Amino acid sequence: MPVGITRFDERAPEESGALLHDTPATPRLHLVIRPHQSLTPPGFVWFIGLTAGLMALPLLMALGRPALWGLLPFCLAAIAAIWWALQRSWRDRALREDLVIWAGWLRLTHQAPRKAPQIWEANPYWVKLRRIPKGAKVPDYLTLKAKGREVEIGAFLSPGERRDLHALLERELLLATRALP
Amino acid sequence: MADAATTGHDHEKRSFFARWFMSTNHKDIGILYLFTAGAVGLISVAFTVYMRMELMQPGVQFMCAEGARFLGGFSGEECTPNGHLWNVMITYHGILMMFFVVIPALFGGFGNYFMPLMIGAPDMAFPRLNNLSYWLYVAGVSLGVASMLAPGGNGQLGSGVGWVLYAPLSTLEGGVSMDFAIFAVHVSGASSILGAINIITTFLNMRAPGMTLHKAPLFAWSVFITAWLILLSLPVLAGAITMLLTDRNFGTGFFNPELGGDPLLYQHLLWFFGHPEVYMIILPGFGIISHVIATFSRKPIFGYLPMVYAMVAIGALGFVVWAHHMYTSGLTLNQQAYFMIATMVIAVPTGIKVFSWIATMWQGSITFETPMLFAIGFLFVFTIGGVTGIVLSQAGIDRVYHDTYYVVAHFHYVMSLGAVFALFSGIYYWIGKMSGRQYPEFWGKVHFWTFFIGANVTFFPQHFLGRQGMPRRYIDYPDAFALWNYVSSIGAFISFASFLLFIGIVFYTIRKGKKIEDNAYWGEHAETLEWTLPNPPPEHTFEELPTPDMWDKQPQH
Repeated sequence: MPVGITRFDERAPEESGALLHDTPATPRLHLVIRPHQSLTPPGFVWFIGLTAGLMALPLLMALGRPALWGLLPFCLAAIAAIWWALQRSWRDRALREDLVIWAGWLRLTHQAPRKAPQIWEANPYWVKLRRIPKGAKVPDYLTLKAKGREVEIGAFLSPGERRDLHALLERELLLATRALP
Repeated sequence: MADAATTGHDHEKRSFFARWFMSTNHKDIGILYLFTAGAVGLISVAFTVYMRMELMQPGVQFMCAEGARFLGGFSGEECTPNGHLWNVMITYHGILMMFFVVIPALFGGFGNYFMPLMIGAPDMAFPRLNNLSYWLYVAGVSLGVASMLAPGGNGQLGSGVGWVLYAPLSTLEGGVSMDFAIFAVHVSGASSILGAINIITTFLNMRAPGMTLHKAPLFAWSVFITAWLILLSLPVLAGAITMLLTDRNFGTGFFNPELGGDPLLYQHLLWFFGHPEVYMIILPGFGIISHVIATFSRKPIFGYLPMVYAMVAIGALGFVVWAHHMYTSGLTLNQQAYFMIATMVIAVPTGIKVFSWIATMWQGSITFETPMLFAIGFLFVFTIGGVTGIVLSQAGIDRVYHDTYYVVAHFHYVMSLGAVFALFSGIYYWIGKMSGRQYPEFWGKVHFWTFFIGANVTFFPQHFLGRQGMPRRYIDYPDAFALWNYVSSIGAFISFASFLLFIGIVFYTIRKGKKIEDNAYWGEHAETLEWTLPNPPPEHTFEELPTPDMWDKQPQH
């Protein structure tokens, strides 16, 4: 599932110091949005293990002969290459967006592969959620706007998932606003 | 921050050069692979026609030391046999067909085009690497052709050592031609390994949400297993031919007994690659045939999971049977016994596949459009080739048949006919999807029947020649073998005519074929994801990942 939702205790926080955005207070909600990947870490282990095992077969044949040194570099290079390629494919899709909502504060972190994280913070009260069904970068494009700056959220999800996310955010933003002291 | 961009972005139309020479789009690269492989195939087939012309009559009429002739060889002018030219023909026919035609067409072409579509991936995992693979393949072809025209052994052009490049023949062949050939195989090997890495990564990490390994379409599976075989066996070939290269040029003695090397080791290494290689050629064909038979029988494929694991088993067994190519090279009795049994075991998964295809057709509502004709033709010729394979797997019988035309008939039945029938089946099945235009059904059928008859007339008599004891790889033969050689040559000319007809059909289809509007133009039983797309598919597909209801038509899988 590309959208992971963690809900925290729904009771109002004892201390309403949530306006300080570096507060360690427990958030209400933590959303993690990631692109879909079908290779699991155990899958990676299985694949590399089987590949290395099968690759050992011709090497056994050449064991104790000089020809081993002719084969070994190519076999190791092939395993290294597929290892690197699978890792690289994971890293290329290691895109994630974290939306953390406290009572009275929210923070969106956009973490693209090989780039510094980008952070956007606002008070939910002032946040305007917008869904653009057509004509934008992707269908049902979702944006959040506050403090004169409009940022995107979940642009890599499928349109259906973005519509679900829109409904969820609409409700949560309202609740986060109401939960203000 | 990912600031919002509320206006859509459109791609400007790219120039011809940018689209076809700098392409990173898997569909464009797939088409490039198919056309390049087709062109190389034409060269390689032309060699066979020349060889069959020569073998049509006893004696040497065309490949003369006085100069190669193409016409008028029958009038009895002076002709000294030029064995080197003959050897060059068989060598480059083998090298081109094995490395530069069938694998690039089935794996590079269809694998690139349809595997990402079938698993709902927007493109390959590494699009620029894909471009590199294709151009390395073109560079490999160029090196191969250069090798044929470069100074080689016997003071003539080209090398005549056979596609297997056995040491010490290959280490002693004069000239630079052999080095070019080794480089050609190196470069094409690098291309295949990079392509395989790309395909493996795409298949493993970019399947659509919900598409577990046990739900991936059979063609995607077959391409994945092929890629895995390439990744495992090509490094061994690369190592072996690198050692050939250093033996030739730097005085090493890996395969030279005088320096403590072992020429037999080269055969082991070559066949450790070479046997999986023939499965790399046929496995994508298995995938195509499964989809074609299910589509035209209007039934889901029978036994999806056994089909998948049969392919896995064929791939795995392919790695432990290599020495059945070497029964006459002095293996011990136990080695021969092992390789014989292991080879016969391959008949089990292959039998599972053949029976599942037949069970798919059983009580189906079958129609015989061209792709289905080719698929049934595939079943027929592949089964014949498989049965002669069982015969040849017996170490004792192989002593009689080794290096006779029986072997030639066997491997042409499984590869030249089996894999190529699958290739044609795939082309007729998908040409409407790729070009947006449908081929002329009548001419497709004419192509099938001429090719089916021509190919069988070519290769079936070669079983008889093998049983009579005619050895392979010779330019001439005694009169006793004349009849079936004559018949075989007639068959080869019919097959060549059908190939020319096929080229005509392809270009007619692309320019003038009837446009097809229906996405799934073969009906609702063509149910993999490429049939949800228009013909031809737009440049970018599945940027929005497909949902399971689009592809999961048989949820019991």
